[in-house]
Amino acid sequence: MTGSRERVRRSLVRIGAMAQKETIHVLRDPRTLYLALVMPVVMLFLFGYGVTTDLERIPLAVADADRSEASRALVRTLTESGELALAGEVAPADADRLFRRGHAAAVLVIPEDYEERLARREPVELQLLADASDVSSANQLLSKADALVRAESRRLSAAALAPAAPPLSVKVRTLYNPAARSALFLVPGLAAYILAITAILLTTLTVAGEWERGSMEQLFASPVGRLEIVLGKLLPYLVLAMLELLLVIAFGAAVFDVPVMGKPPLLIAMGFFFVVGMLGQGLLVSVVTKNQLLATQVGLISALLPSLLLSGMVFPIENMPLPLQLLSRVIPARYMVHALREILLKGNGLDVLWPDLLAVVVFALLVIALSTARFKRRLA
Amino acid sequence: MTPATATAAPTVEARELTRRFGAFLAVDRVSFEVERGEIFGYLGANGAGKSTTIRMLTGLLAPTSGAGRVAGHDLATEPEGVKASIGYMSQKFSLYLDLPVRENLIFFGGAYGLWGKALERRADEVLALADLGDAGDAITGDLPGGVRQRLALASAILQRPQVLFLDEPTAGVDPVARRTFWRVIRDLAREGTTVFVTTHYLDEAEYCRRIGLMVDGKLVALDTPAGLKARWVPERLLVARGRDLARAVERARDLPGVKNVMRFGAALHLRVEPGALSEQDAAAALRAGGASEVVVEAAEPTLEDVFLAVVGAGGRGEEGSP
Repeated sequence: MTGSRERVRRSLVRIGAMAQKETIHVLRDPRTLYLALVMPVVMLFLFGYGVTTDLERIPLAVADADRSEASRALVRTLTESGELALAGEVAPADADRLFRRGHAAAVLVIPEDYEERLARREPVELQLLADASDVSSANQLLSKADALVRAESRRLSAAALAPAAPPLSVKVRTLYNPAARSALFLVPGLAAYILAITAILLTTLTVAGEWERGSMEQLFASPVGRLEIVLGKLLPYLVLAMLELLLVIAFGAAVFDVPVMGKPPLLIAMGFFFVVGMLGQGLLVSVVTKNQLLATQVGLISALLPSLLLSGMVFPIENMPLPLQLLSRVIPARYMVHALREILLKGNGLDVLWPDLLAVVVFALLVIALSTARFKRRLA
Repeated sequence: MTPATATAAPTVEARELTRRFGAFLAVDRVSFEVERGEIFGYLGANGAGKSTTIRMLTGLLAPTSGAGRVAGHDLATEPEGVKASIGYMSQKFSLYLDLPVRENLIFFGGAYGLWGKALERRADEVLALADLGDAGDAITGDLPGGVRQRLALASAILQRPQVLFLDEPTAGVDPVARRTFWRVIRDLAREGTTVFVTTHYLDEAEYCRRIGLMVDGKLVALDTPAGLKARWVPERLLVARGRDLARAVERARDLPGVKNVMRFGAALHLRVEPGALSEQDAAAALRAGGASEVVVEAAEPTLEDVFLAVVGAGGRGEEGSP
């Protein structure tokens, strides 16, 4: 029947008109372009450099009870790389006082029979007292000290000063990020985070703006349908957000040496559905609030906090209490962060990442359906 | 676009339309019919229920009770048909200020399913119709109020609507721009477009073929301007000008045949039973009452007189804005 084909054609014309109008809005408003294309790069630089969690010159005090040639050699090995810095020699009992004043982050206690036991080729136990009030620094410190002590023990074995078996067993292994660089860990998370925020901001502003301007009433008096408004508004911002994703990944690769090990199509697909979901969430917020200021605030809070705190971008999800772990399951950024890391750093494919893709697709469909349903074409 | 089917059926029909907002009855059982090609004026003070009626007829607001048909489509069951056959210009200017004039028209044309060459042509056509021929590339936000209103009108007639709903289209527009605006509206009506317009400018209401008067949500009068005047202001109207007229108000009231005396700015309006009081007698009486330099003339009643009479009959002291 020609009637239904004509209906579809008209519907497409209306969606096209919406999309074209939004595009002109975007092109005429430099703030939108700035928000979408400049801010993400600025944020990437700020976070990438500023939030690097790599510590350098951690102040380490030494309580050397042995005061031997061997113990001095150990301290030298620990401090000469620059990651740990000698903060002075103290008595073990003084550790507490040092921590409180912030003079040292850790105290290495060397037993008085250190050289003797090495000479007898017996294992030695070194004690590292760490100030764990800053957990993430303490963890780094432990892994660094551990690596350095292992290096020393290898040196000793080679010099045949120690038992044939290494004096310390190796417990920590670093995979996929062998240099333990924060940027590699952060940038994929950051990409998801930046995308979430800008995508939500882009749409919260536009729909709430129509309400405030009164043009929504004009639209409602025309034959433009709800889904047509929603789709027409999403299209231009989708294009913009996809450009943004590529931009962030390109900058991550160029500036922070983040590799792209996996397949670009999967990356694009993940990004596409994630962005649709985030744009849809912004749409939902502005459909409900109908006010630009409120929409921006609700949009930011509903996107920013979960994407930052619950996505695993900074804090590992496995370390969260169970309720938060469950909550993180409904945060799409969680799946995006995970998938981006897997794709970029490990080169994993759809066989591993299909649950992530499924999650963002479901979220996208859900918010679009919800915002279309909440979108009342009558004023009251 | 199919031309409106020429039938005897009214283009707009309201039957007992009612809208309640909580305890507030905004529109109370309003019924009327508007014929094809008619300019129908809807008058009333702010808050009398004019915009609420328009919003129900355009499908923006669901009636609490009652029914209506617009261009042959039932408001309740065929809202899409209603929307496709009307043009609507809301009270608040709601085109996009950041877009150029022509882009606004292109967008709203698209919203009605127009596209391509036909849309381009139609946009130029309505620009010319609304006297906006060379404003196409101007940024909408830079235009003065009167020009914006014509642009909103141009945008509302893009799809050649059968019925045009205009909600206070000339509010805040200067008199010259208002006249241009009304010229366009009358041209449209001549070509068969039905125009439903709310206004509180009573002089504009004279352009309408028929007028409905709303007071507190009720449609209290409905007729042609001449019919309304004959019915509500049957007496002769004498207009007295001069100094110190205020002193003579009581004296004027007591004159034989005077039904009502009202102050209109500096003047007095005396409503007099037909043949009861001559201009000269009225002037003499006012002078005797303490006024000086008095001139009395017989006047045609205006819609303002009608409005005041109607409101007065409703027992309300509300004054219509001039």
